[in-house]
Amino acid sequence: MNFLIVFGVCIFMEGATWLIHRYIMHGFLWCLHRDHHDHSHNGKLERNDLFFFIFASPAIALLYLGVKQEFSYCFFIGLGISIYGMAYFFVHDVFIHQRAKVFTKTKNPYFLAIRRAHKQHHKHLGKEEGECFGFLWVPVKYFKMYFNKK
Amino acid sequence: MMPYTYLLINFFTVIICFLASFDRRIQFNKLFGKFLLSSTIVAVPFIIWDIWFTAKGVWWFDLNYTLGAKIAGLPVEEWLFFYCIPFACVFTYYCLEKFFNLDWANVLNNLIVFTAVIFLSVTGILYYERIYTLLTVIVTIITLCYLHFIAQKEWLGKASFVYLLLMPGFFAVNGILTGSLIPSPVVNYNPDDFLGVRMGTIPVEDAVYGYSQFLLNIYFFKKITKNEK
Repeated sequence: MNFLIVFGVCIFMEGATWLIHRYIMHGFLWCLHRDHHDHSHNGKLERNDLFFFIFASPAIALLYLGVKQEFSYCFFIGLGISIYGMAYFFVHDVFIHQRAKVFTKTKNPYFLAIRRAHKQHHKHLGKEEGECFGFLWVPVKYFKMYFNKK
Repeated sequence: MMPYTYLLINFFTVIICFLASFDRRIQFNKLFGKFLLSSTIVAVPFIIWDIWFTAKGVWWFDLNYTLGAKIAGLPVEEWLFFYCIPFACVFTYYCLEKFFNLDWANVLNNLIVFTAVIFLSVTGILYYERIYTLLTVIVTIITLCYLHFIAQKEWLGKASFVYLLLMPGFFAVNGILTGSLIPSPVVNYNPDDFLGVRMGTIPVEDAVYGYSQFLLNIYFFKKITKNEK
């Protein structure tokens, strides 16, 4: 059961991420997300980094509550959010931005598709007219693009 | 022999690294002055913390293992500890960075900081009344966030990986100090002030606090030797 909660939350988080990204980060909190797209911020600290804490806080609160309630479902929801966050950073940094020189020549159509979609999202410098707000799941056309090539 | 225990621990921590410093390929001896400066900058706050906690009785030293001389409540050997351990750590990091390409580990920077912030925050909030746990958590979160978001150092992942490689040494030194292999611990901890989770004989807080101390030593050493990357 607990495993199901963690697993379910991870899937739910992809949807939530899409909604938050589409309507909040590209919505009323665009002021914080903007410098992630146009690199307009001169100082060292990107305002976008605040989202790191905005996403971490509910996980911390839920984990705390969950432990206090002798590992209630809150703990596992918090764990799910944390694991999604970890997966996010892992996939984003390792496969999409390839900050390490590993997997640079991957032919895996899934990774090629999410990388392509991520690039597409960053082509838009403005708040409106964005596309591909998802992260681990992107519009089907990108998957088709690479899976068909195979 | 017993009064020399702590002194010998310090001695064996540095001696191999010290001798290897003069190797033609390494020449770390040319950086001794800079190392002393950078480690002093880091040692000051950590020694103040140590003096405070010793005075408060969070931990105390069995003086039978020391020569007996004390400064500000701390055995001289404890003062030396804040130079000997960083010396071995910075030396190891310096050599590994020189001879191996460990840049791949930097890809994990975001992941490390995110996971650590969540895990440490939860522990800190849950056990806020245990002062060693709380202070360790606060210092480590601030160190990681400063290095990652403000100083934007690329080498966090690499340094974390080197810290893992240093673990056998950490277990040997801290293990003996906390009572492994010897009849009773050199450093004793008040059970009310820390989690009570021990790795062998070592309180888990020691490993976390050692991590932030290590990162800060690397940070200042790099800053002073202008080996920024």
